Formats: sequence, C-alpha cells, structure tokens
Amino acid sequence: MSLPQPVTADPPSDAALIAAWQRGDERAAAALVERHARPLARFLAGAGAPDADLDDVVQETFIRAFRSVDRFRGQCQFRTWLLTIGGNVLKDFGRRAARRRVLPLDEGVRDVRGDPHQHAEASESEALLAAGLQKLPRLQREVFLLRAQQGMEYDDIAAALGTTSGAARVHYHHAVRRLKEIVK
Amino acid sequence: MTEERLNELARKLGARAAERLNVEATAQKVVARLREEPVRRTAWISQTWLRIAAALVVVVGGGLVLRQQLATPGHTPGVSRHTPHLVADDLGDLSTDELRDVLTSLDDIITTDNVAVPDSTTDLRQLDPQQLRAVLRSLEG
Repeated sequence: MSLPQPVTADPPSDAALIAAWQRGDERAAAALVERHARPLARFLAGAGAPDADLDDVVQETFIRAFRSVDRFRGQCQFRTWLLTIGGNVLKDFGRRAARRRVLPLDEGVRDVRGDPHQHAEASESEALLAAGLQKLPRLQREVFLLRAQQGMEYDDIAAALGTTSGAARVHYHHAVRRLKEIVK
Repeated sequence: MTEERLNELARKLGARAAERLNVEATAQKVVARLREEPVRRTAWISQTWLRIAAALVVVVGGGLVLRQQLATPGHTPGVSRHTPHLVADDLGDLSTDELRDVLTSLDDIITTDNVAVPDSTTDLRQLDPQQLRAVLRSLEG
C-alpha cells in the first residue's frame, strides 16, 4: 500500500492574491508585500531613496497600490506596476524633503553623502552608477532600472509607464549612453 | 564600461539596503495601516469641496470688500493700496501696518460678534501681527 503523496500547492499568483485582497483577505495583502517588498526596495534604493526613508517609502508604495488596485487590470506585471507607483511615491518624498529643506533641491532625493558604513561597503563603480543615475531624467532612470536591475521586458515597462515599447527602448539606450560616460 | 557591466552593477544596486528591510514587519505595518486608514473616497471628496468652497468664500469676500471700499464716497484711488492683498496674497505676507489697513477697511462692514478679537483688548490697533492675522483668518470663515 502506497502512502499518499504530500500535496505541494503552487504559490498563488499575484492575480489570485489581488482578488483575495479585494474580497477583504488581509493575509493576501501581506503575502503580496512579502513577495515584492525586496525588489521594490532595491528599485527605490537604486532610484535614490535614502536608506533612512526606505522602509517608509516601501510602505507608502504598497498602501497606494492597494488603494488603487481597482485600476490595475493586468496590463503589465503587478510588480512592474508597483515599481512605477514606487517611483511616484519617491518623487513625492523628495518634494516634501525639499520643502522641509532637509535636502537641498538640487541634490534630488538621494543623499549621496550617505552612511559611511554603506559607502565602505559599496564598490566605487556602484557608487558612481548610483550618482550617475541621479543625473538622468526620471523616466530614463526608471526605465534603466526596470530593465537592467529588475529584468523587465520592454513591453511590460511600456505598459506600466503608459508609453510604447519603442520609446522605452530609446529611454534605456539614452540612459546607458549617459551612464557609460559617467561610470568609466 | 560595457552595457553588460552596467547591467551587472545595476543588479547589485540597492541589494544591501533591500536585505536590511524586515519584510515581515513591513507587511504587518502595511496591513495595519490599511485596516486603520480605509479608503474614504467620500471623505476625500468632501474635503476637496470644502477647500473649494473656502477658496470661493475668500475670493468673493475679498472682492466684496474691495468693491465696497471703491464705492465709498470720497474714496481716492490709491489711498488704501493694501486692500487687494486680502484677495491675492497670503496674510503671512502682510506687514503689521498693512494688516491694520485691511482691518480698518473692514471695520465698516463687519459685525464684531463674529470676529475672534482677544478678550484682553477692545482696540484692534493694540493687537500684535499674530493676533491681527488670527482676526483676519476668522473673517475668512
């Protein structure tokens, strides 16, 4: 007599978790946060979120995403959509920081002086890339990160940003060209 | 620097910061905030309408003040040069003298019952700038 095989269910898809959250299942919301929080944090850090604010920006991004999830119709991956919301949240944080004069406006949202420990950890090239990204227009920076850091497809990036695949490709190539000049 | 090398660096970017993130704690905080601050679309709409209404009151009220003053017999254009500030600028931009000018122009058209004049004084000219601003703001509704 053979023993029953343990059932190993596939993890629920993002779409299933979103539907469960819309029915009021808080565990589904928590599962979505646990699944996407780290990639989102990497994207935000790359886009210039100061370390001290990273947790707050991540939280705010999820809050905004869950509150407007009715507008997500599967036009792109949930993660791509989430990251573009993160870009908007980060921009708002930067504006507020500039208004509070915590950071000078011309330094953008990233405190490039940062934590000495973090700087010690970061390679010189990474630090140059981080600084170089801050010199790019926001769209180029986000397209570059979505493509190079997150490995998203151009079609997906275009759908999330409301542009065309060709335009996303152009933004990426402009970003690469500028970054090559900066990070030598 | 090749494109491949740039992509390689980009993949590492933010990795350490992301590793430091306590994902479970973040998930709990997000769920707690969603529970505490449910979407209140109607509340947002009400607030927005309230702001629009308040702005209209200020603009229309300021316009009426200006009109009344211009219609006053003996009014010489240019004498009360500060009054338009009530319509156009923030009260914080006005100096003490300008605030007093505006108040003087309002004396004829308001009833003091609705004005938040501090108990300690009966003369508007004795008020300091902060108190004058408070009085004017109370007039804005």
